[in-house]
Amino acid sequence: MEPRTSHIIDEVEAANRIENGMTVAIGSPTPMALVRQIIRRGLKDLTVVDVGLSLDMLIAAGCVRKVVSYYAGGGFGVPVAPAFRRAAERGEIEVWECEEGILTLGLQAAAQGLPFLPWRGGVGTSLPEVNPDLKVFSDPIQGETLLAVPPIKPDVTLLHAAVSDEYGNVQHVGGPGWIDLFMQRAADHTIVQVEKVVANEAIRKDPWATTIAGADAIVRVPYGAHPFYSRGYYIQDNAHLKGYLDASTAAAKGDPETLQAYFARYCREPATHADYLEQIGIRRLLELHEY
Amino acid sequence: MSSNVAAQDLSPQEIMAVFLARDLKDREHVMVGVAMPIVEAAVRLAHLLHGPNMELIFFGTRMNVADRYTLPLPAFAWDNRVVRWAESFSDTGHRFEDVKHWHKRVFFIGGVQVDPHGNTNLIGVGPDYATLRFRGPGSVGTPTLSTHVGRYYIVLNSHSPRILVERCDYMSTYGWGGGGADARKKLGLPGGGPKYCVTPLCVMDFDEEDKHMRLHSVHPGVTPEEVQAQTGFALTMPDQLPTTPTPTPEELHALRTRVDPEGRLRRM
Repeated sequence: MEPRTSHIIDEVEAANRIENGMTVAIGSPTPMALVRQIIRRGLKDLTVVDVGLSLDMLIAAGCVRKVVSYYAGGGFGVPVAPAFRRAAERGEIEVWECEEGILTLGLQAAAQGLPFLPWRGGVGTSLPEVNPDLKVFSDPIQGETLLAVPPIKPDVTLLHAAVSDEYGNVQHVGGPGWIDLFMQRAADHTIVQVEKVVANEAIRKDPWATTIAGADAIVRVPYGAHPFYSRGYYIQDNAHLKGYLDASTAAAKGDPETLQAYFARYCREPATHADYLEQIGIRRLLELHEY
Repeated sequence: MSSNVAAQDLSPQEIMAVFLARDLKDREHVMVGVAMPIVEAAVRLAHLLHGPNMELIFFGTRMNVADRYTLPLPAFAWDNRVVRWAESFSDTGHRFEDVKHWHKRVFFIGGVQVDPHGNTNLIGVGPDYATLRFRGPGSVGTPTLSTHVGRYYIVLNSHSPRILVERCDYMSTYGWGGGGADARKKLGLPGGGPKYCVTPLCVMDFDEEDKHMRLHSVHPGVTPEEVQAQTGFALTMPDQLPTTPTPTPEELHALRTRVDPEGRLRRM
């Protein structure tokens, strides 16, 4: 008999599993090593389920045709992520307008193989007008006015977690992130990047702690969420994120030089995650180990 | 209570924070969304001064920090360090599984547009949705929250006819719809709807019958004419128009030394 198959691949191979035009869901903590490989590969026409500045980067790098997002704020007092705002205003990206509850339900409908799930939040608003996929209907039990939320079906979900064994048994520190499990259950294929690959025995020691059983692929990338945080490992690199935000803001105003330099330095020149970390430097990384 | 602080020593944002803080009650579950510094300050002030049993919910973290002298919060919404104060945490998906209990919850909503019936817009501005003149950040969780929470406040960082408009280009929350005390009931929305709209110039509420926005109080030094001139629709005027109360020295001391020692509310 063949031995059990390892699920471990590297970040370059992981990104090669994504094709132009696919729907890609991105969890939080943000799997930035994989996001950077998407940018490095120059993937195009993706439908991206994401929020915030990782979404902004993918748009600014030209990878995105359609956005499924409930929030694209910039942080640091910037109300709207700059590349998202510019691309949406110019009609360069399509937005599947939603909100947190609707996104969650859409992912759940996909996971459960249902044509829709009902939701009340958004009744009376413009959401079903600007997103015609959301249908107002009268429920057959009590006749209440509700929204029918159709399935949101990621081809690939990309997540970041603490540890996994080589068979894709993932354990988080402090529970899974944001909406990650909904994304995983809804997707055809889930790739989880982790801080550390641990022995199968370490997983078996506490199987109750396993949050994702048998992820399709595992990518070992310590510091892989940088410049975002990784629970239990390091804090967010706010100086780096602010630098990106300033560059993206300048680019949206017609001065793309700093942003192009950012993408060259951090996404296109480093061939692998290790090359990226060398670019960031050990000094900066160690500073992120202080609360 | 000692006499209140003279208005010239206060920023409008401090007056807003204290007004909101006084309206929050102990034991309430108070949820604060992203990018709302005035609201953050108000909630923390209420918690420190009269809300030892309040539950504060910041970005999924639920906390009670009344025993802390100060509480530094990160400036970046999804900076994970906010979790350090939490007693529990709920992820986005699971946060929306208990709406049944949200009548106990109080929430705050901003907007790029707000109309006379307290409907708000975080989607964007412009006639053509595919090429908006201003693309907003998106609705976050406000459509669901405004549907279910016991009450909410509309809090604006500025007061202008560009924001307070006759009609929102797009509605991301349904306040009182087209007006009328039964507007929400007719749509089957269980939550209590918007109570006040608070801006740097004034506080507005909603007429009990037609639910049209009505001036409730003006901040010190502001005239009703000024408010009307900065509002894109005709406000309902009350029979009596008080001045928004200013903080007591105790409130201001707590606000400036324990809640906002960096002086964010004085620099907006």
